[in-house]
Amino acid sequence: MLELVGVRHEYDGRVVLDLERFAVAPGAAVAVVGPNGSGKSTLLRLLALLERPTAGRVLLDGAVVTPGGTARRHMTLVEQRPILFRATVRENLEFGLQVRGIRRTEVNRRVENVAARLGITPLLGRRRHELSDGEVQRVAVARALAVEPDVLLLDEPASSADRAAALTLYRTLAEERARRPLAVCLASHQLEDAYRWADDVRALADGRLSPVTPENLFRVDLTTAESGDLKRACVGTVEIAAMTDKIGPAILAVPPTDIFVSREPLASSARNTFRGRVTALARRRAGDGAVHVTADVGVELVAVVTEEGLRDLALAPGSPVVFSFKASAVRVF
Amino acid sequence: MDFLAEGFRRAFALLFSGDAEVYGIALLTLKIGFVATVLACGLGLPLGFVLATRPFWGRRAALTVVNTALAFPTVVLGLLLYGLLSRRGPLGAVGWLYTWQAIALGDVLLALPIAAALAAAAVQGVDPRIRRTAETLGAGRWRTAWTVAREARFALAAVITTAFGHVVAEIGSAMTVGGNIRGQTRTLTTAVALYTSQGDFGLALALGLILLLLALLVNVALQMLQGRGHA
Repeated sequence: MLELVGVRHEYDGRVVLDLERFAVAPGAAVAVVGPNGSGKSTLLRLLALLERPTAGRVLLDGAVVTPGGTARRHMTLVEQRPILFRATVRENLEFGLQVRGIRRTEVNRRVENVAARLGITPLLGRRRHELSDGEVQRVAVARALAVEPDVLLLDEPASSADRAAALTLYRTLAEERARRPLAVCLASHQLEDAYRWADDVRALADGRLSPVTPENLFRVDLTTAESGDLKRACVGTVEIAAMTDKIGPAILAVPPTDIFVSREPLASSARNTFRGRVTALARRRAGDGAVHVTADVGVELVAVVTEEGLRDLALAPGSPVVFSFKASAVRVF
Repeated sequence: MDFLAEGFRRAFALLFSGDAEVYGIALLTLKIGFVATVLACGLGLPLGFVLATRPFWGRRAALTVVNTALAFPTVVLGLLLYGLLSRRGPLGAVGWLYTWQAIALGDVLLALPIAAALAAAAVQGVDPRIRRTAETLGAGRWRTAWTVAREARFALAAVITTAFGHVVAEIGSAMTVGGNIRGQTRTLTTAVALYTSQGDFGLALALGLILLLLALLVNVALQMLQGRGHA
């Protein structure tokens, strides 16, 4: 179990990460989603023991670990824009194995094996300037897998890959996890990939973990209340009403399960009612009966309905739709 | 112009005549240059690496000191070294004054800040992802340092070349602590200065050309050591 406990991290006095606890269990598939600048890369670097947190502890199987020790060999990070060493692809794949003192025959076996699985065997003799960005990313993932870490940390691993390459990558990760107890923690801004691939999706916003699922997260500036704690925040072209005593910059979250989906506006106490059109329908997990309805209501919102509800409303991409939710359903943190 | 052309003619004649004194001076210069460059780079490159990569209290001040030392006048350096090595100086017992070792010591002190400052700049120029990648793949401190150095090898080779160039071209300190003694401490630069002052322009030019040739040979050798020149 790899954990961050009470971790706060600052760059030049600015807090970029503030987590009470973040754990990656053995064999887990965790996706961390969030917008650019939300702290995903910092989180992965701390988990990889490449940086020491300003405050807090990193634990590996309950023991405090720090950068510089041998514990680092349990986890490997592939950065968002990975870099290859000034050498051939084969030498890059061999690097981590050589520093572990693995025998030449075993090095060759592992390199050939991982290269075949990621479809980079034809690239083994090439050097970094002869590769595309997507190929560099695949080689970097192969290089990380070659050392067979307990925890693989991937920062936007499919950002430079086309769809086919991304699918190959996710399939390889699934095969690797089936083969041995590998935990994977992946940072992504692509919710669809995160839901399809991970067992556990966590949202990060402004360096903090969101208490709700990662859809419908907005960075807002809350001004003074109109009545009591009811505040309105501008999000895109709409104003979202929220009950909160917080003032100033904040993250506003609308849980998709708290949104009522209808064809016409409902007579209700909901302070937030928005008309729009369905832009996408997605079934993220087979068999759970939930459908994610994405609609453009002036801003893109995601609601969750049942298959039965979807049928009753006859929703399809392009259908007019009304999203309603109470001001008290909006989470502000 | 005749004077210059005559000088060149004399220079080439001396170069290819196998003059023992000329080649003796060249070999001594090469020996001092080699010893001083090895010592200066042996100390300066790791120092530059530490300055570039290890955060420690006073790092900025250390970098400022090293950068300031780049502009240290060689004559003043020679003077200070003279004071240290002279019979009544604190290092007088070593007996190095007016020996090639004294010249080499001066050259080391001259080239050390050059090697350190330029190595720090070269290492700072390496993409920080290289270090992080080496570390995350399990490399320890030394292997990580070696990996970063490999990435900066072209720049580091240029550091060595620059250090060698400064060492063999130095005259102020060599003249002061070496004494320009014929057959013992006469280097190419001190000899050029002497023969120019004596009006023996051809000989001075010949020695100057040998100096250039040495610099060229060292550059070519280093480029060959660097191996293939692509990423």
